[in-house]
This record gives sequence, C-alpha cells and structure tokens, in this order.
Amino acid sequence: MTAPTDSTATADSTGTGTAPTAEPAERPFGLGSSPLRTDALPKALGIYPYAADLWAEGLLWGAVLRSPHPHARIVSIDTSAALTVPGVHAVLTAADLPAPTVPSDRPVLAAEVVRHQGEPVAAVAADHPDTARLAAAAIVVEYQLLDALTDPEQAFHGPALHPDGNLLRHLPLRTGDPEAVGEVVVEGLYQVGRQDPAPIGAEAGLAVPRPDGGVELHLSSTDPHGDRERTAACLGLETDRVRLVVTGVPGATADREDRSFQATLALLALRTGRPVKMTLTREESFQGHAARHPALLRYRHHADAQGKLVKVEAQILLDGGAYADVSAEVLAAATAFSVGPYVCPNVFVDAWAVRTNNPPAGRMRGEGTLQSCFATESQLDLLAARLGLDPLEIRRRNVLATGDALPTGQAITCPAPVAALLDAVAEVPLPALPLDAPDTEWLLPGGPGGAGDPAAVRRGIGYAVGMAHMLGAEGTDEVSTATVRVSGDHATVICAAVDAGQGFATLARQIVQSVLGVTEVYVAPVDSDQSIAGPSARGRHTWVSGGAVEKAALMVRHQLLAPIAADFGMSVELLSIAEGKITSYDGVLGMPVTEALEGKELWATAQCRPHPTEPLDEAGQGDAFVSIAFCAMRAVVDVDIELGAVRVVDVTVAQDVGRALNPGQIEDRIEAGVAQGVGLALLEDLRSTGGLLANPSFTGYRLPTALDTPEVRIATLLEERDVVATFGAKAVSAAPAVVAPAAVAAAVRAATNLPIGRLPILPEDAVVVLPV
Amino acid sequence: MLPTSLDEAVEALGASPAAVPVAGGTDLMEAVNAGRLRPGALVGLGRITELRGWRYEDGGTAVLGAGLTLARMDRPDFAALIPALADAARTAGPPQTRNVGTLGGNIATAAATGDTLPVLAALEAVATLARAPRAGDSGTREVPVSHLLTGVDPMRPGELLSWVRVPLLHAPQVFLKATGRSGPSRAVASVALVLDPARRAVRCAVGAVAPVPLRPLEAEAWVAGCVDWDARGEEGAQAIDPAAAAAFGEYVAAACVPDAYGADASSALLAEGPTAAAVRLRRTVAVLARRALGRALK
Ligand SMILES: Cc1cc2nc3c(=O)[nH]c(=O)nc-3n(C[C@H](O)[C@H](O)[C@H](O)COP(=O)(O)OP(=O)(O)OC[C@H]3O[C@@H](n4cnc5c(N)ncnc54)[C@H](O)[C@@H]3O)c2cc1C
Repeated sequence: MTAPTDSTATADSTGTGTAPTAEPAERPFGLGSSPLRTDALPKALGIYPYAADLWAEGLLWGAVLRSPHPHARIVSIDTSAALTVPGVHAVLTAADLPAPTVPSDRPVLAAEVVRHQGEPVAAVAADHPDTARLAAAAIVVEYQLLDALTDPEQAFHGPALHPDGNLLRHLPLRTGDPEAVGEVVVEGLYQVGRQDPAPIGAEAGLAVPRPDGGVELHLSSTDPHGDRERTAACLGLETDRVRLVVTGVPGATADREDRSFQATLALLALRTGRPVKMTLTREESFQGHAARHPALLRYRHHADAQGKLVKVEAQILLDGGAYADVSAEVLAAATAFSVGPYVCPNVFVDAWAVRTNNPPAGRMRGEGTLQSCFATESQLDLLAARLGLDPLEIRRRNVLATGDALPTGQAITCPAPVAALLDAVAEVPLPALPLDAPDTEWLLPGGPGGAGDPAAVRRGIGYAVGMAHMLGAEGTDEVSTATVRVSGDHATVICAAVDAGQGFATLARQIVQSVLGVTEVYVAPVDSDQSIAGPSARGRHTWVSGGAVEKAALMVRHQLLAPIAADFGMSVELLSIAEGKITSYDGVLGMPVTEALEGKELWATAQCRPHPTEPLDEAGQGDAFVSIAFCAMRAVVDVDIELGAVRVVDVTVAQDVGRALNPGQIEDRIEAGVAQGVGLALLEDLRSTGGLLANPSFTGYRLPTALDTPEVRIATLLEERDVVATFGAKAVSAAPAVVAPAAVAAAVRAATNLPIGRLPILPEDAVVVLPV
Repeated sequence: MLPTSLDEAVEALGASPAAVPVAGGTDLMEAVNAGRLRPGALVGLGRITELRGWRYEDGGTAVLGAGLTLARMDRPDFAALIPALADAARTAGPPQTRNVGTLGGNIATAAATGDTLPVLAALEAVATLARAPRAGDSGTREVPVSHLLTGVDPMRPGELLSWVRVPLLHAPQVFLKATGRSGPSRAVASVALVLDPARRAVRCAVGAVAPVPLRPLEAEAWVAGCVDWDARGEEGAQAIDPAAAAAFGEYVAAACVPDAYGADASSALLAEGPTAAAVRLRRTVAVLARRALGRALK
C-alpha cells in the first residue's frame, strides 16, 4: 500500500478485496473522497446549537406530568392547584385535546388509562421552567392501579391492555417441507435486552403560534413531513397549518421526539398564544423515547452431517411496549431475516409483536434484524461445535449469494458477497497477545486500575455475519425530491432529508461537486415547506435522496452544457466535467466550470422513487425488500473468567458497501455501529421491573466509553455495485450494529465455553466456575 | 459564599443554618440538578487552600485536607504514602469529576459506592470536624470515619469536615474494585486491604456490598496468622500459601455478604441458604479479597 496521505485512514486496511479509494487520496472533493462533515467541529467543540438551545422573545416553558404507574385507570384529574400557581399560563389534559383527524393507538395525553410508566397525562406552560415543573407536580391525579403486564409471554392470554388488543402483529413464515429433518439438531433460547438510543440531546423543541391559527415547530426531527402530518392530525388541524423547521439534530440512531411531545408542545403554544419551549430531562427521555424491542427467540436448526442447513424452526417474540408504533415493520425484518445470510430450503417461523406495560419500543438501527442475527449466529456456532467444524467453515458451507432466495421467496438480486466478506475478515492477522508486555501495559478486562489478573484472563475469537435491509419494506412508498440551484460559482441543495449523523449533507455536497464540478456547495436547512424526502431511517437517504440530488444535478449539468455543446456543434454527451473543468472528447475545449457558470442561474428539481415492494403474505412470502447490505465481523475479547469482566480487544469488519462514496464517513459509521453493538452486547439494558424502570439515568444505564470500545479495523469495504441503487452504493450504518453483538457473544462463548444466550452479557454470565 | 479560610467557613455555616457546604460539587450539584435538593445557600470550600493539601504529624500520621481532590491523590507522591487511597481515588469516576471531586465530599456523601471509604475504614482513619467556636468550646472534635459513616457519631449541623488522619504504614496496600466494565463506573464490590507489619496485622474492608464498608475482623485475624511475615518481600519466598489466600477470600465474602442478599424481606424469611445474588456477590468479593492479598504480599 502507498503511504496514507488521507488522514481518515484510521484502519490498517490490510488490503483484501478492492481498495476503497482507487482515486488518489488528495482529491479534494466529490464522490469517493472523504470530506469532513460540516457539523463535526462545532459538535466536538461544544458550540453546536442543539434544539435545547432555542430561544424566542417572551417564551413560556412547557412541562409534562407523567404517570408514575405502568398501568392504571385514571379516576380523576384535578388541575385547580396547578392553575393557581403564579406564572402558570395553561394546563392541558386529555379533555383539552381536539378530536384527532387520524386515529392512532397512542393518545397524546392519557385519557382513561395509562399504559406505561412515564406516559404523559397533563402538560403545563409557565413563565419559568421550575414553575412549570412545580405546577405539573401540583396536578392531582387519582389512579386506580391495574396489574401491569410486563412479561411479553403473558400478553397472549392476559387481559387486553388496549381496545386494539395485545397482539400487534403475528407473522408466520412457512416455506419448504415441514417434515424435513437433519442429522444434527441444535436448539437454543435467546434473549435480547432493551437498548435505548440514548441520544446526546434529550427531546427538546420550540413551538411558535402563527397568525393564521397554525403553529410552527422547531424540532430536531428526523422525519419533518411525517412529524408535521402526525402533529396536525393530533391537533385536528389541516396539515398545512403546521410548519416544521428542523434544527439542532444531535445525531440520531432512532426516531426523535414522539408525537405526544410534539402535539403537547404545539397545543401549549396555541393555547397561550406564546412561544413555548420544552426540554425533557434524561429520565423523561428514558421513559418516553422508543427503545429497541426486547426479544425472546427460540430456535431449532437442522443440518446434515456436512453442516448444510436442512431446516430452521423459530419462534420470535418482540416486546412492543405499550403502543403499536412501528412494531409491525420491525417484526417483518426479524422474520424475513430470521435465517440470516444463509440458504435453507425449509423454514418455519412464527413471529409475534405484542403489547405490554413496558416502555415503548420503536425504531433503532438494525431493528428486528439485530435480534434474529444474534440468535442465528449463536445457532451456527452451536452447530459448528456439534459437528466439530470451524465456525468459519460452517458459515462458508451455508452462505447465500446473489440469485439465492430468502425464506420469504424473494430472490436476492443485489450483490451478496457474503463468502468474500468472511474470507476478508479471516485473512486479517489477529491482534497480538500481550503475553510479553508488562502487565501494566496490558489493558485488562475491568479497565485501567481495575481488579484484573492476567492469570485469569482468557482470550476468545468469534465470527458473525449479518444483513440489514435498505429502504422501507412491504409496500412502503419510497420517494424523495431534491432541488439543485447554481448561481455563479456556488450551488445550493434543497432537500428535506435530515442529516441525522448518517452524513447526508456531506454526501449531497459531494454529489453536486462530482456532477457539476462546483466546489462551493451549500446544503439548505430543512423545513416542511420543502418537498417530501421521508424519514432518516432504514438507510434510505443515500439511495432516495442521493438519487434525487444526482438527478437534479444532472439536469442542471445538461442546462449548462447544452448551449456550450451547441456552440461547438457537438452533442452534450461528448463533453465531460472533471477537476473543475469542462472538456470535450477531442480536447479542443477546456473551460473552467466557473467561467461557464459566470452570471448564470440554473436550477432543477428531481424525484427518485426506487422500485416498489409488496407486503408479506399469510405464509410470510413476498418481494418485500428493496435491497440488502451484508457485513462480516471478527471479534476478539479478553474475559476475566473469575470476575466475568469482558473487554473487547478488537473488531475486524468487512462490509458490502456497493460503492464507497465517502470512505472516511463509512469507517466512522462502522465504528459507531460497532460501538453501539458492543454497548448492547455488554452494557446497555434499560431494565424494567414490573413496568418500573430500574436505571433511567446515565449512572444506571451504562453506555460504552472510549475504554469499553475496541479497536475497529476495516478488513475491506467491498465494492460490488448494486446496479439499481443510486451510484451502486449500499447503506452502511445498520449492518455493523446488527452484527457486532453476535460477534462479541461468539467471542465470549469461545473464551468461556459458556452458552451465552442473552444480551447484554452480564459478568455473571461470563464467570467460569472451575471445579474446586 | 466563598470563604478563604477554615475559620471563615465554619463561621459562615454557623451563621446561616440553611447553608450547605459545597466542595467539587460532583455529588451536590447532581442532586440539585435532579431537583432532589434545594439548598438555601451554598458555602463554597474551593478557596480554602489550607484544606487542599496534607501535612505530617508525629512522624507516623498523615493529616489529609478534606479539600484534596481525587485527582491529586492519584499522583505519585501521594501514592507512595498511602497507595490504597491513591488506587481508590484513581478509579473513582472519570477524570472530569476526579479533577474537582474531593476526599471530604466523598466521605460526607457517604455513598455505598464511595471508593475512598473502604480504604479509610481499613486504615482506621479519624476525621476532624470543625464548628464555629462557642464559649468554652473550641468547636473541634475527632471521630473515626467509620463512626461517621455508620451513624454511631454522625456529622452535626454546622460542622465541617476539615482533616482526615491516616496512619502511615510503610507497607503494601491494595484497593480493588469490580465494576463489570472497562470504562469508569461505580463499584459492584470493592476490597481495600492494608498490611501493618509492625503489628503483624492485615486489615481489610469491603465496599459497595452494604450501605457502609464492612470489616471482616475474624478473617483479618485469621489470615494474619497465615502470613509468613519474615518471608514477605524476600526474593522467591512465598509469604502465604495460595490455598490460605483463597480461603481468606471465601472467609471475607461469607462474612460480608449475608445469605439473604438481594432478597426482599418476605422471601428472605422463607429462603434457605444463600440467594443467587448472594452467591454471585460472594464469588466476586472472594476473588477481589484473594487477589488483593496476593498483590499485597507479592
Ligand atoms: C459521573 C460521576 C461519576 C462518579 N463516580 C464515582 C465513583 O466511581 N466512585 C466514587 O466514590 N464517587 C464517584 N462519584 C461521586 C463524587 O465524584 C465523589 O463522591 C466526590 O468525592 C465528591 O466530592 P465533591 O467535592 O464533588 O463533593 P460535593 O458534591 O461538593 O459535596 C458532596 C456532599 O458533601 C458535603 N461536603 C463536601 N465537602 C464537605 C466538607 N469538607 N465538610 C462537610 N461536608 C462536605 C456537601 O455538602 C455535599 O452534601 C462520581 C460522580 C460523578 C458525577
């Protein structure tokens, strides 16, 4: 390899497969280069304005009264004491809410029943945040306690928690011969805890009443049009009476403010005729912010003597919490990918998402897929152990490739280089054992200054592969619109795709730079007056919004080049833009782009709509997904087998990226996914006992710190273009988060010989009790 | 209020009963921000330089200022004096809080997971409490830290923790903390162990398993008899039989973790034998105590 001039080359890309940056690293801009995100520095320096920093003249402060109980009937609410608190301007309860125009199973403020701890019951606006909180606390709610249903397995037979019932979705998947049996059969029960997105900034926003009776919301929304529509529906307003301005997005691996937050904030502003600001405490955020679905998965794998899969049977149960939200969608992913990236002719799965009195569950990086990945990868390790095969070998014998079918019957048409990814991670040399280093230099499990003892440390190596789908599934209408405008030497992109940390704003700049040769590209702030781009979720913006930006830029390019081509009597196709210059095929023309653009105003708007999908049928069959990205990992862990402390030493990643549009950002996203995956594997679990949260704070809810996160090495960013995707690129964020927990679990299993059936892996699960 | 001397500070506290002292604020401000505490007034201790260092007394005692920061205690000069306290200070939270958090604050907060507390208990440290002097009363009294913590002799209103007296033992001492992770975290269990070769004694305290540090006195006495005090520190010599070290660990764990650990009151009555939580915690404590002894005698 040449010496890396690229400062983002953090990984020792020991260079298997295609090199991520074929172009010279010093190329200043455009696709394939690695410009820094514009918000990176302000965020690192602490000067980035978050939504909690918003301010308006004469603003009031909102506060919410929440249910202390996981399940109770509201007998009465007395707001009189709150109304007499000096400085209070409005108190709202369910009785003040307009009739919603679109029904939802989740009320803005609980009316008759509260279904989870922290569910909003009333809201207050006052001239000081403390006054608002005190007044909220002065509201007297009489509750009649009801039994809390917190064990998802009880949801089927327990009393209905909601008029819509407890079953949010049942998805059976049946394909092949139910009677098929394998020569070896392994069974396992797997459990995944509740991971919270724990965003840097808790929910915050500002609502400003408008003269036309509408309201303007300033929020760090990741789905401006969806949020506007839902808020308007809750307020009983026409959609265009609500305007949403996106501001201060902290980086989101899940959805942001929920509809209850937005609607109460808006209604307080409408009621008082004043701007109202509301920021939630961390505890409130833990209570209300949708977390990852806790899951219970029971698997039975049948294989032949060579280790080829014969049949997979599974039961998957997701705890959806108190309200439906996106559980149905998450369940579809868990079910469709329930076998992992493997070929199996006979698959029989029943999957359910149920309602409980636990905190709400929702969207979070790799939702659904992550849970089944942990189970299937654990099962493959079990099979390997049973057959005396190497964990890599059993995977190689079963991996799927382009042209194979998912258990849903859908043929995989995109690149599926699973075997190549596995080979790539396997080829990277293992991290050195610190045997010869002095103990003081060995970062032992338990951390520096911890209780670690080298004599009790065992090293383990684990492999996992997984997949994550891109774009909405099961018939979701995927569409995005973008406008590109060029005035003189600079260009502007207008697109309502929110950069929630996935790097869309940087990508949009790169696209315009590549297509038009303009260096200075400005990405406009997002608001709901712009055309719909859809939510920042499911790895969709690179494809749909990137596609829209590219199309619009190409249209502008045509407008720019057409008159020049006409002047020279050639067709536009014979001109190209590169290195900031327009050149003709014969070299006669060589004009700087800036010169061609001088005094010009060009613009175009374009839309991107990938091919449609269809819902899964009653046997779980159908072409429900647009495309899939794959990822393989090798995790190396050290376990103190007496204390059960685990340190992830190294995670080596090979990822199927289609095309590396910004290798630096891809590596960052992979590191982020690994960090989040390691968090779920070892630390993060928002525990609920009887529906009451045990650890709703950053003291109790343990996020990985720099000391807990491993060195992440990129074996390869495998570039095999997905011909139907924009630029041939695949989404990169979800797959690493999906695979990392399974890889870490496999490594801990290898170090301890313990089954490791639940995530997070607690110290007690990794203690090896030696015979005395 | 920002007094610059101890006298001014106790004066200020005596004058306004609603006032609360604040040192680094890492515990206090968290409680204020969470709305659990609304102090009427604050007396900041940060400018009292005399409390931010230490001095020696009678050759054998170090007198530590309550304003010593956890970060300061981790420095080599301090670590050479009282190694276990330095170890505890090093692991007591992330650098940001250790830079401002103080010894006095750690003691006054008296959290079960306060990391300096088991060390102070093992060292049998004594606290000096200061109060505004009245007629015939200098206002100062001395109380063993363990009495402060257990509430046998608690801190009284208007009192300020000024000094902590710690014996200098000139022998190995160890603090080990199990957290279940690599990053900074509160203890699940911790063990402080100090050797007192002059008295041929081993003193040990277990932190985080109960509201206050626990001293397994019988186990201490027993293991002191197993140590080959003369072989200690000799090249190639073994100061304790590994089986005895392991037995010491079990002894400490059994003494400090009750059978009913983690059980609620009703089931505790019915329970037979230790709960699963007790078994787990004992295992952890036993490993910590064995390792601590091993390191001290290495
Ligand atoms: C993120 C984080 C992590 C932490 N991790 C740990 C940890 O791992 N281990 C650990 O032990 N602690 C930990 N702490 C707690 C805290 O940092 C320590 O307890 C610290 O020693 C407190 O000192 P302080 O000076 O900040 O106390 P302050 O917050 O200033 O005061 C705490 C209490 O002591 C009283 N007080 C302070 N000084 C005196 C005095 N001289 N006389 C009488 N009363 C006094 C105050 O009135 C108050 O009630 C952590 C804190 C945070 C925020």
